Amino acid sequence: MLSRILFTITLCLTMLTAGFAQSESASSEKPITLRFTVWDGDEASKVLRKEIANFEKAHPKIKVKLEPVNYDRYFEKLLTQYAADVAPDVAMMDPGNFQRFSKRGAIFALEEFFDDVPGFDIKSYYPSIVKAHSYKGELFVLPRDIAPMAVVYYNKDMFDKAGIPYPDGNWTWDFKPHPELGDKDFLTLLQKFQKKDARGKVTQWGYVPGWPELFVDMVVFGQGARYVNDAEDPTKFNYDDPRVIDSFQFYADLTLKEKLIPSSFDQAGTSTKQLFTQQKVAMFQSGIWETPQLRVEIAKPDKGGFNWDIALAPKYANGERAYPTGGSGYSIMKKTRHPKEAWLLTQWMAGAPGMMAMAKAGIAQPAIRELALQEPWIPGPNTPEDQQIPKNRIITDQAEPFVVFPPTGILYPDLNLMVRQPVGLIYTGDSTAKKAFSTSQPVTQDRLDTLRREMDLPTFNWVAAGTIGILIALGIVAWIYWPERKIKRTSKEQRENRTAYLFIMPWLVGIVIFTAGPMILSLLMSFSDWDIITTARWRGFGNYTEAFTIDPTFWKSLSVTLIYTLVSVPLGIGMSLGLAMLLNTKVKGIALWRTCYYIPAMASPIATSLIWIKLFQPEGGLLNAMIFGPNGQGGIPGLRQLLEPLAGSNGQINWLQNEQIALPSLILMSIFGAGGGMVILLAALQGVPQYYYEAATLDGASAAKKFRAVTVPLISPALFFSLITGFIGSFQVFTQAFQMTQGGPNNATMFFMLLTYNNAFRTLRMGYASSLAWVLFVVVLIFTVLQLQGNKFVYYEGSDR
Amino acid sequence: MAVVPQSKEVAQKAAQKSASKAAWNGYFSRYATLIVLFVGAALFLIPFYVMMAIALKSPAEVAATDIWSWPKAPTFQNFKTVLENTNVSFWNFFRNTAFIATVTTAGVIFSSSVVAYAFARLNFAGKDRLFMLLLATMMLPGIVTMIPTYVLYARIGWVNSFLPLTVPAWFGGGAFNIFLLRQFYLGIPRELDEAAFLDGASYFTIFSRIIMPLSGPALATVGIFAFMYNWKDFMGPLLYLNDPELQTNELGLSTYNALQAAQWHLIMAGSVLVMIPIIILFLIGQKYFVKGIAMTGGK
Repeated sequence: MLSRILFTITLCLTMLTAGFAQSESASSEKPITLRFTVWDGDEASKVLRKEIANFEKAHPKIKVKLEPVNYDRYFEKLLTQYAADVAPDVAMMDPGNFQRFSKRGAIFALEEFFDDVPGFDIKSYYPSIVKAHSYKGELFVLPRDIAPMAVVYYNKDMFDKAGIPYPDGNWTWDFKPHPELGDKDFLTLLQKFQKKDARGKVTQWGYVPGWPELFVDMVVFGQGARYVNDAEDPTKFNYDDPRVIDSFQFYADLTLKEKLIPSSFDQAGTSTKQLFTQQKVAMFQSGIWETPQLRVEIAKPDKGGFNWDIALAPKYANGERAYPTGGSGYSIMKKTRHPKEAWLLTQWMAGAPGMMAMAKAGIAQPAIRELALQEPWIPGPNTPEDQQIPKNRIITDQAEPFVVFPPTGILYPDLNLMVRQPVGLIYTGDSTAKKAFSTSQPVTQDRLDTLRREMDLPTFNWVAAGTIGILIALGIVAWIYWPERKIKRTSKEQRENRTAYLFIMPWLVGIVIFTAGPMILSLLMSFSDWDIITTARWRGFGNYTEAFTIDPTFWKSLSVTLIYTLVSVPLGIGMSLGLAMLLNTKVKGIALWRTCYYIPAMASPIATSLIWIKLFQPEGGLLNAMIFGPNGQGGIPGLRQLLEPLAGSNGQINWLQNEQIALPSLILMSIFGAGGGMVILLAALQGVPQYYYEAATLDGASAAKKFRAVTVPLISPALFFSLITGFIGSFQVFTQAFQMTQGGPNNATMFFMLLTYNNAFRTLRMGYASSLAWVLFVVVLIFTVLQLQGNKFVYYEGSDR
Repeated sequence: MAVVPQSKEVAQKAAQKSASKAAWNGYFSRYATLIVLFVGAALFLIPFYVMMAIALKSPAEVAATDIWSWPKAPTFQNFKTVLENTNVSFWNFFRNTAFIATVTTAGVIFSSSVVAYAFARLNFAGKDRLFMLLLATMMLPGIVTMIPTYVLYARIGWVNSFLPLTVPAWFGGGAFNIFLLRQFYLGIPRELDEAAFLDGASYFTIFSRIIMPLSGPALATVGIFAFMYNWKDFMGPLLYLNDPELQTNELGLSTYNALQAAQWHLIMAGSVLVMIPIIILFLIGQKYFVKGIAMTGGK
């Protein structure tokens, strides 16, 4: 360990000296390293790496380190990294999220760099993507690609087989089928592709959107509706707009009632793209970025694959052509030490060289229009054979005038998540769209109003806060040493005292730095509004009032956590006790049994969560296959009749997707951890002297009586221990929910720890999260004190109590 | 509780009756117990069976067969694919996890044993109330200190390194471990160190020559618990490790899962890879584990 500390110190020193050295001789030959983060997957990363090599060749003094991160965690990671001063120099951004950084002054407005590179012309970029990456006229992200999600990949062979001409983009959709329009009507087309088996189960569909929101967005935008009133500075959320509500309902009806689009249940654990590659659907809508992966996954027609191409997605019959869009670019982080070099990299990767490389691989449509209209983006005579498909890439340019970008308002991303919390219930048919949004819309609107009101809070007074913190600390110290005030020590005792302090020094230092100090700081922070990037602001009791009176997630989360704790802990202990008593009956091979039961309790939490996702999967998961049979027939008799009422509209139990069942599912899963408690209780049981039972037997005590009068009192310390640790642990459940449900559906598994984590590290509301942490602390404290009161029933050997 | 048998005869009869009944009961209940234990164990191990089965199937077989079926042609190709992925290195995960768990465990053993010694044997100012404070921190949910410590580490530039995960273990090593070791030390006869003290031994000598050698099992228990806890920790690495090269088993598996959406054959293979070391560790340390648990849950 010492070596590691020494190592760190040396490292710091080297870095310092390196810094000096650099400032002394700016023209030194040492190359600088730029860290460059993107959310691109394996295929795209390969392309980027190649292009980075070209860049390094052109700029020998700059080295670039690429750091790909998965999109789901990308922005929260980048924000927390920035707050911790370990952010990369250049980062990928998109229209929906760059404001989180620009508002906090974390990324450069790029205009100041434009003249650094001769020939750079921002006007060559598609105006729509430039506008989408600007806020109030300032450009914060240099666009690298635009990705209208209007690309319908279609299976030519399936069209041929059905005798339907290939789509040419001149088709329309409406809420009702129009058979008179024939193949030009989207819904009629879907009806033609639908195939059912003997039992009425759909086995082939015409179309699937890459993800549900893609379709809903298209429907919303097609009707001319938007989710918020003003994209740059929203003051109103529109989830009470009938057009928005109808769009969600439309998707739910198409998947669950009409069954023209596969629902998430029909996917049975596969992705929508896999449905397309497995030829279960004829059309798959997404962005052009799916192309490289599809080229890999779809075999040639003579090798069991099929012919495919792309077409422009349909237009709303009574409205406008409109498509949601992706699009991204690169930003330069403010804390970079090499802004000029970072710009060189940025405009290389989001300029002609980078775009051409991406275009060649078929990943991304160039954001510079001229490049999007020529080879290699549009296949021509020089395009290699394996890059010819899909042929019809010109549609990405045709779609561009009709794209709708996500709002750029800083408050939008988080609040949009909030208003959409019940969306999962619409997709599973557990709620209508109207009902789902009737509560989340007003709550979100309230929150938006509050946030806008609080835009100018006074700054947080750290001096005053620090003084209070020191006073609290002094109070604790005074409490510790108050009984010592009259004690005199002999010199021998003084020596012992000094030695003792040497011994407890690690802990003393630890408790000050890692426990007491942070606790006091967290208490102070709970009165602030602070993202740890910009200055903290004083919010008074605002965080607590928000939790108790405004934020409905708070109460929901508290009750979810309490229910989970109050059910799973006693249930788990009961299970543990039962198992322990079984194993305590002199059964053979006790060590082996113990191991069997204990393995699930000590296994990797993430691996366990992943397996359970699979076991809980509605279609093709283990539990439903046992109850209903693998094909919806058979299954364990009796169990089926018993559990059938729980089944959803798909005839299966949706363990993790149903609002009522998700929490019980996690409790069921927690029982598999009962082996941990079992080992403790078994050890305690084995410590109970046998003659107690013999004496009780002689006295004619029944088994129940023996259990109550001998077993329970004698193992009560172990029971009590299991109870206390069980409660404290269960209040802090995190990993399962984080990995399996992300708190959904509709917050049904939003454990308190997850809520706090989300506030602190996803949205950087450190002040609010601190107040939540303190609320949990008080709740745990109350529970512990209550249990310690119950302590008097616990029998300690050798004590008189 | 004292019931005096009224006469010898009655007592004998009763004893006979209960003996035959007990024999029958014992016979029946032993088999019933075995059956229940067997069914229970099978249920408990089903998830691992499924995990293994999927990990050994080819993607085509995963799609075509029922979830519980054992692969007809088991293949190790999935494991190979997982291990050869250049963006996520399971070898790295393993190395990082082992490093963090080892350094942390060493820290826990060192610091909790010295602190426990002082609380068990020495007299010092404020001892009682400091001990109360120690017990109180056992009940403290970690979430309260999570945010400020993150800010602290962010300010001193420790984020994205192993330091936030390893250094704190050297400062106290956890209230629970201190408490456990203190209880153990209290059970070591005081006469031993008093005799040594009279011979002129210092407290350090007593600690290192008498207390430490006698507390092997307790230290092993604390060590194994600390090792397992840190090996399986998810929240800490999630907060502090960003760089893919620094990630641990748990975090790495979670990342891998996100990257391989719905590729269940690969995800399960990765899960098996992460699971194996823990199970081996457990089987090795099982003896101490159980002993230690008896100690923690006991008196």
